[in-house]
Amino acid sequence: MRKILLLSVGAAGLLAASGGAVAADIKPLAETCNNCHGVDGVSAGHSMPSIAGLPVKYLTEVMIEWKKGERFSTTMGRLIKGYSDEQITDLAKHYAALPWKPVPQDLKAKWIKEGSFIVDRCSKCHGDTGAEPDDDETPRLDGQWAKYMELQLMAYRDKDVKLPHEKMRKTALKLSEEEVGYLNHYFASAPKATGKKKEEKKEEKKEAKTEEKK
Amino acid sequence: MTTINRRNFVKLLAAAPLASVLTVPTTARGAAAGKRVVVIGGGFGGATAAKYIKRMDPKITVTLIEPNKTYVSCPLSNEVISGHRTIETLQTGYDALGKRGVEILNDLVTGIDPAKKSVTTKGGKTLNYDALVVAPGVELNYGAIEGYSEAVAAEIPHAYKAGEQTLILKKQLEAMPDGGLFVIAVPKGPFRCPPGPYERAAQVAHYCKNNGKAKSKVLILDANDTFAKKALFEQGWAALYPGMIEWVPASKDGKVVKIDPKTKTAFTELGDHKAAVLNLIPPQSAGAIAKAAGLTNANGWCEIVPSSMESAAQKGIWVVGDSCVGGELPTYPFPKSAHMAMTQAKVAAGAIVASLNGVAAPVPYYANTCYSLVAPDYGISVVQVYRVDDNKFVYVKEAGGVSPADALPIQRKLEAEYADGWFRNVMADAFG
Repeated sequence: MRKILLLSVGAAGLLAASGGAVAADIKPLAETCNNCHGVDGVSAGHSMPSIAGLPVKYLTEVMIEWKKGERFSTTMGRLIKGYSDEQITDLAKHYAALPWKPVPQDLKAKWIKEGSFIVDRCSKCHGDTGAEPDDDETPRLDGQWAKYMELQLMAYRDKDVKLPHEKMRKTALKLSEEEVGYLNHYFASAPKATGKKKEEKKEEKKEAKTEEKK
Repeated sequence: MTTINRRNFVKLLAAAPLASVLTVPTTARGAAAGKRVVVIGGGFGGATAAKYIKRMDPKITVTLIEPNKTYVSCPLSNEVISGHRTIETLQTGYDALGKRGVEILNDLVTGIDPAKKSVTTKGGKTLNYDALVVAPGVELNYGAIEGYSEAVAAEIPHAYKAGEQTLILKKQLEAMPDGGLFVIAVPKGPFRCPPGPYERAAQVAHYCKNNGKAKSKVLILDANDTFAKKALFEQGWAALYPGMIEWVPASKDGKVVKIDPKTKTAFTELGDHKAAVLNLIPPQSAGAIAKAAGLTNANGWCEIVPSSMESAAQKGIWVVGDSCVGGELPTYPFPKSAHMAMTQAKVAAGAIVASLNGVAAPVPYYANTCYSLVAPDYGISVVQVYRVDDNKFVYVKEAGGVSPADALPIQRKLEAEYADGWFRNVMADAFG
């Protein structure tokens, strides 16, 4: 009886840990994702996004859009058509439950600084540091690969590329080439919140420019 | 916490077979403590199997036996030939796996005794196993081409096992005069990396175009009548290297049967082609140890059980990677790729850990993604998804396929970038 109790507590603990809704057999499927998206969804490749810890709704939506052919992709559309909507939902839940881990990467300090001055272009939806998206449909960006974000912005800035998020496209098109680089490096650096107001930032930017002229 | 009474517990038990070793809580395990898995071969398949078995159940002793201390990735090695990548970027050791608790034995397995469940090595060791993973890659059958041998390969490289061979071919390309003929001889399939020879042709043409050898030509002499991503390659060749690459199929006397190493001449049944550089890729079969252990079929490849990757010829032995033959045959075989080897290895790892713990094996998932670089900023790909129904492979037709022929230019650029990202992740996933 004691043994049974131990077993059942273990099993219940497992169900609790997985949110009680992730299908039992999703882990082996999720492990096939590691090939491209890194072990447990933390990418080791500049051009590939980390997917662990992203919002479940965001993950589900992009996969469903790929499956329906509503969203441009290179390979994901061809892969995801092989799986049921239920499997897609379970994959999203699986990855959303894993911890978000900012990836260390080589970044330009000057670009990070420049990015911090213009973060208001993105902050309304992604938050000031990229860590606090305003809703569950928006991915966090703090510590995501700069290269991946550069490529995504390249796609958003190409009007022939089918991407359903019009607001993101409009914002992306307003940026200059330099600004794209600055913002990618800023978010990739996993910045901490400074608590500074817009006015203070403006002042800081002015100072930085004066410093540069000297 | 939810109270679990006897009735609930029975429900949980009933659900248990649906679960698997991967989801069985650690407290319920332990059955595999003291059991040993031996993995033969430290390529993408073998390394992944070793790592995932240890990850799924740290109580199992895992020994990886591999003769080389450094592994060189075949994927992306064509970029070394064209000078866009150094060979160092393709290398990895086994230290990280060692730190994960995998025992690394630098040795060569010379014998498998399935009855005694043991392997013997060149170094004189005998290791007993409870489960064995065989991942030796392909054997190059030099003898199938008259005039070719392993010794001759120092002059007439195959460059189909990355490392020194890759560098020999690179040097020969660099030394080739402008206007020189670069011949790639492709064996009858199946062979590892199905698009490899055609990507190589593009990389060689790219090098020639940008290094003062634009009058040179690449001639592909093929023992087959079609090839992987054919339409996409032909489109890319024509767009980037017009007139520089010619493909001769088997039906037009493309099959090389003999070579003269001294004059670098490749002989087909009816003709001969004198090359400035001769790159001869010999016919292939499963690694020698797989054949010696009786794991191969009449064609020289290892058949496996779809639900688990266990050898169809021998219980207690799992075969992963280029040595095995699987997929929905004959139309949709498993391609011999690193990505495929890794998904196979993960299926095998799950099945082995389940078997050693006496529980049901997890549902198997097989998929492939394979990028080819026509140029540094021009990538194309193929995707395959397989499922297992009633222990039979089914190629999922709703999914998969090659990059579209009418793709936007940005897609070619992105796929080249993703090839690099894919590579870094498979290296980290298998060896990290």
